[in-house]
Amino acid sequence: MEDLDELREEEENPLKDMYMTFKSGNEHFGISVSNVIEIIGMQAITQVPDVEDYIRGLINLRGKIIPVIDVRVRFRQEALPYTDRTCIIVINVNGTVLGLIVEKIDEVMKIDKNNISAPPSLSQNANASEKYVCGLARTADGVKLLLDPERLIQDEDFTSFDDLEDMENEAEEE
Amino acid sequence: MAEEYNTDGMLDIFLYESEQLLESLQDIVLDNKDEECFDEGAINEIFRVMHTIKGSSGIMMFENITRVAHRLEDVFYYLRESQPKNVPHQELVVHVLDVADFIQGELDKIKDGESPDADPEKILEELDKFLTGIKSGIVEKGKSLPPENTHVEPNQFYIAPTATESGKFYKISVFYEPGLQMSNIRAYTAVYALKELAEDLKYIPEDIISNEGSGDEILEDGFHILIQTQSPLDEVREIIEKGTGVERIDIYESSAQEFTLGFRDESQEEIVIDLGEQEEKPREEGGAEKAPKEMAPGDYVIKAKEPGKGKKLAKHQAKGQVKQSFISVNIEKMDSLMDLIGELVIAEAVVLQNPDLRVPGLDLTNFQKASAQLSKITTELQDVIMAMRMMPLTNTFQKMNRIVFDVSRKLNKDIELEVIGENTEVDKNIIEHISDPLMHLIRNSLDHGIESAEDRVAAGKRAKGKITLEAKNEGGKVYIIVKDDGKGLNRDAILKKARANGLLGKRNPDELSDKEVYQFITQPGFSTKEKVTELSGRGVGMDVVVKNIQAIGGKLEIDSVPGEGSEMSLKIPLTLAIIDGIVMEVGDTTFVVEIGAVQEFISIDEGMMVKEPNGEEYANIRGEYYPFIRLCDQYHIQGDAQTLEDGIAAVLEYEGKKVCVFVDRLISEQEIVVKPIPSYLKKVSGISGCTQLGDSSIALILDIAGIM
Repeated sequence: MEDLDELREEEENPLKDMYMTFKSGNEHFGISVSNVIEIIGMQAITQVPDVEDYIRGLINLRGKIIPVIDVRVRFRQEALPYTDRTCIIVINVNGTVLGLIVEKIDEVMKIDKNNISAPPSLSQNANASEKYVCGLARTADGVKLLLDPERLIQDEDFTSFDDLEDMENEAEEE
Repeated sequence: MAEEYNTDGMLDIFLYESEQLLESLQDIVLDNKDEECFDEGAINEIFRVMHTIKGSSGIMMFENITRVAHRLEDVFYYLRESQPKNVPHQELVVHVLDVADFIQGELDKIKDGESPDADPEKILEELDKFLTGIKSGIVEKGKSLPPENTHVEPNQFYIAPTATESGKFYKISVFYEPGLQMSNIRAYTAVYALKELAEDLKYIPEDIISNEGSGDEILEDGFHILIQTQSPLDEVREIIEKGTGVERIDIYESSAQEFTLGFRDESQEEIVIDLGEQEEKPREEGGAEKAPKEMAPGDYVIKAKEPGKGKKLAKHQAKGQVKQSFISVNIEKMDSLMDLIGELVIAEAVVLQNPDLRVPGLDLTNFQKASAQLSKITTELQDVIMAMRMMPLTNTFQKMNRIVFDVSRKLNKDIELEVIGENTEVDKNIIEHISDPLMHLIRNSLDHGIESAEDRVAAGKRAKGKITLEAKNEGGKVYIIVKDDGKGLNRDAILKKARANGLLGKRNPDELSDKEVYQFITQPGFSTKEKVTELSGRGVGMDVVVKNIQAIGGKLEIDSVPGEGSEMSLKIPLTLAIIDGIVMEVGDTTFVVEIGAVQEFISIDEGMMVKEPNGEEYANIRGEYYPFIRLCDQYHIQGDAQTLEDGIAAVLEYEGKKVCVFVDRLISEQEIVVKPIPSYLKKVSGISGCTQLGDSSIALILDIAGIM
């Protein structure tokens, strides 16, 4: 049901083909604007001990505490020092709000569906980053890797924790 | 039939209201269950509740509920009018509770989107039998009971959607088949349907909802409606004809003037059904307003009017019943209000301590006066929002009353429940979490704790068992105690079972204290009860209770004296939302620890340390050894303190165990607003939440149990 609604929403959504593009390392990425809540400057990040290295910690977004992840580290690249161009894109993926630390925001652009091709599938031991790319977009100024935000937050670890909680809940209901 | 009119919005209201009514019904019944009979007030109240449920379920076309409610209403009508003696009170109590359960069951089905299809025949039959039973012996009365006026108020219902100048006016008279049951409800259904196309609507008799007698009036004189609408006459007719039992409809065109005059006498009070989307007509201002019950979801309905006019309250108040003036608010809204207030406090600090103000020679006298005022207000705001989240345990405790009643009947034990301190207030979130565990504890006491009457007498005890449910507020914690005067826990049986389950380990059972032994029953799969009963003994239970209690930061203590009874105490925090904490720093990371857990702060030097070869450290403080944890190592943080002398150690206690935690420095003591760690992050052991501090930085809340 929900998925259906979402689909319908997307169809009617004027922002549908709009993507926010950003630079991370030498690649340019794009993420659907409908997932983006806002862009904020770099702020003080509170580290959380004992979590994955790409989770940089927590920030305080006007009273809401949200986790931020470093996109470069997420893609197994080396972290770059943060500069004044470094931004945090706050995204909402199915209710999970989190911040993506990116090197530099490019722009918001319309990418026609016809210019997006599926990422070529490699062998099983494909580069980890490709898992999160749902399409390659040809634009006037080069190729953008379009991110699948759901995959971005739903790695195996995340799912397993979720399942665990479900199991716990079930146990409690008994 | 239910689909005939769009009743979606009403459904929610119906469910909400019926549940409230059922709750109050149960309260009345259980309050009076040990009396000889219901007093007049109780009878009237039950009658009223059933009457309202009957009426509203009739509108919603839930026939089963209507029938059952109607039958019980009959019974109470009879009780009220004839005041028969020798009513088997216990039986009556059971009947009323059965009906309440039946209706509740149906409501649950409706809520889940199923159709309410339980068979009411059995209940109806029992009620019939009961009614005949109490009637016999007294003068035979006719079966049919004349409907009684419960509310005699000449009120005019006035439904006022957007009235435009155009539109036609009709005068409609509807006549129903003679002998039709509940014609007033049918009339209301017609009104409700007409509302869709009506711009303005009046009808007579006006009190079709509150007054069942209006049904007779309608049958006799017909039901008269004045309507202003854009729709053609035929459409209006069609809508009314859809209703059942309509014999004849007369519709005439009418004039605006006639419409304004209405059927009304000068003295009549107006009732406004606010449809929510329309502006109100000027002449309604200031008039004493009441909304009919069906339209009022809470005790108050705050009507959205143009700003500046002030909000008017339409109060839903039953006659002769003093209700507290409550407004129900979505808890999410409360939470976001709380978040905002937290933000406000922080923003305030940012403004008041702004570095821009530190210009030498700046005169800040007025600024400081104003800021003092601002601080006062924000502090008060904080207090108010906290108070708003607090709710008395009354409702939770009353539910237990019902359980004791049901279960003791089922087990054939005579048990009374004593409730102490039910007005103790706890945070709303906590209330939601303790209801189930409490129910479990009570059931356990009823089933396992209290012996059968014969055993009790043989043991020289009163035949009637007693369970005491007590709540009290002590030192920032709430204690909820379930005490029974039953046989107590059997230490040997527990030990035996614990050994069989391999819970004992290498420990020598003789060295365990009673309390430690009793704690075994909180282990998963532990039940000493040989026989599995419907109620308990399956071994799932106590561990779930403990888990639920721990989830809200509470704990369960078990005490028992063999032969005299056992006592289960839940110790829970007053609120989940705000705790008093000590803020400490390790490197760049800020931690908060709950103040109640801190025993002392102490400077440590190398001389006090004992190191094990495997790296574990102990601190010797005044001759006692404590496990020594360096937070910087525990969480792999770069700490600032190079030597022990640079930092400070906090001795923390949890459930009798003590641990010494080493940090770089202490910052302050302050009240903090607890927020959960975003679920995206995996659970970090030893961290139970996070909070933001005055400078809007984030601190992590240490969970002492987790670091031990």
